[in-house]
Amino acid sequence: MLCLFKSVKRIVVLGLSIISLIVINQAFAEVAIVVHPSNSSSFDKATIKKIFLGKSKSFSNGRAAILLSATPKDPITEEFNKKVIGKSSNQVNAYWSKMIFTGKGTPPQEMASTSEIIAAISANPDAIGYMDASAATSAVKVVATF
Amino acid sequence: MMKYLRLLLISFVIVVALPTKADIKFSGFGSIIAGKTLGTVDDPFNPGQKRDEILTADFYDVGQYDNDITFKAESIFALQAVVDLGDKLSATAQLVAKGVDDFEPEFDWYYLTYRATDSLTLMAGRRNIPMYYFSEYSEVGYAYPWMRPPSNLYWWQITQFNGVNAMYSFDSGDYSNTVTLFYGNEYSRDNTEMGYYEVLFGGESSTVVDEFWTDITGVNWNISGDIFDLRFVYFQHDMERTRHFIDTTSDQLNTSQKFYGFGGSIDLNPFTVLFDWNFVTRDDGLGTEYPTYLISLVYNIDDYQPYIAYSKADHERTKLKIDDLEEHYIMSYGVRYNFLPNASFKVQYDHFVDQGHEPSGWAYHGDSDTISLGVDFVF
Repeated sequence: MLCLFKSVKRIVVLGLSIISLIVINQAFAEVAIVVHPSNSSSFDKATIKKIFLGKSKSFSNGRAAILLSATPKDPITEEFNKKVIGKSSNQVNAYWSKMIFTGKGTPPQEMASTSEIIAAISANPDAIGYMDASAATSAVKVVATF
Repeated sequence: MMKYLRLLLISFVIVVALPTKADIKFSGFGSIIAGKTLGTVDDPFNPGQKRDEILTADFYDVGQYDNDITFKAESIFALQAVVDLGDKLSATAQLVAKGVDDFEPEFDWYYLTYRATDSLTLMAGRRNIPMYYFSEYSEVGYAYPWMRPPSNLYWWQITQFNGVNAMYSFDSGDYSNTVTLFYGNEYSRDNTEMGYYEVLFGGESSTVVDEFWTDITGVNWNISGDIFDLRFVYFQHDMERTRHFIDTTSDQLNTSQKFYGFGGSIDLNPFTVLFDWNFVTRDDGLGTEYPTYLISLVYNIDDYQPYIAYSKADHERTKLKIDDLEEHYIMSYGVRYNFLPNASFKVQYDHFVDQGHEPSGWAYHGDSDTISLGVDFVF
């Protein structure tokens, strides 16, 4: 068991070393924060972050926010978490598991596709979501890009 | 009383939920963890003899590792149902199956939540006492980097209570605050951890220990900003411990305790610092104090989180100038690998050093080195 542990440790150390040597430069997508066209609330990065972490329950117009998210597999989710929330998707997921199982918050509702997010937001004045900026249509209002 | 409350709440949920097809959300979490200790140690209760090293990974449920690999010490499966009962009211129940109980499911949490306003939430029912920084989600392995919150801090025989919480949220500048007032009671009959000590210290295995914590009253202040999340707690409670012996006699300890705590997490990308400092005083004429703390460093690199943690617990009697009763530290090293969006693999090595007072029997843990590995998931 101890030698198993030592070899696991070796593999982990080796793996971490290799990962840390590789610096990946990719062209990342631009993240758009979208709301219903009628929503004239003010949005800055801090406000958006608080809304998406459930720390602010309402928009500046006083209405309760309905949060939507893309699937964890959609690369835009990782982009959104990194650029807007400032954490990795794993850290965001850990945060929500803590909130769910202590009864202190409800995570954004996961939508299957960008078109579903657009449809849901264009039909609901209080919904907010994020998507690849190139996918946003005139049915929704882009309030910020990152 | 507790049984009735539970039955009442569950019946209430069923009655309300089923005919109307109320909105009911299921979610859950679990951990499948195996582990073992790596050597033997002098048996503190049988001088001259050796026994397996033992690591208590879960004090409250007495989940322990010895030289035989086991899945039972820490594995857990929990299912949560949240029933939306209307605009502002919901009922939550958690059905939990633990290896230490041979996976027999029990309703561990059940409470009503009333969202009075955006900033005020009231809860009534059974929940965990917010004792330490990780107390309220100490069993949700997916929510923190380690295999478990350092077990030698989470050593209390009471972790839950039936009561009420009032949570008020507000902003101060760029910071989000939540202040929670809580009040409740816990009547733990035949307490698992206290019963274990009875047997360990040569008592009758039939001795039943009832541990009652009453008028648990306190306040919890959580403040978070862009890179930090901090929490202050103070609470007090009365304590009544009754030992029922086989010959139908009993003895009783009546005292009270005060808990102080300050802990949190700080993100210094790519590092996360986690810490908790706690201080407990017991009003027992001996000046009993329990200072405990932990400090941990996590390195976040893609899907990997290697970490180290140091946790130290102490039990002193200041009026008798005795400061080395029960005392121990754990040095933990491990790594978490997030291999799926909702699951992580962890492996951890724990070096437990017992610094307790041997002549008086307080060094009852003994040193241990433990390896554990497993998977935490949420769904």
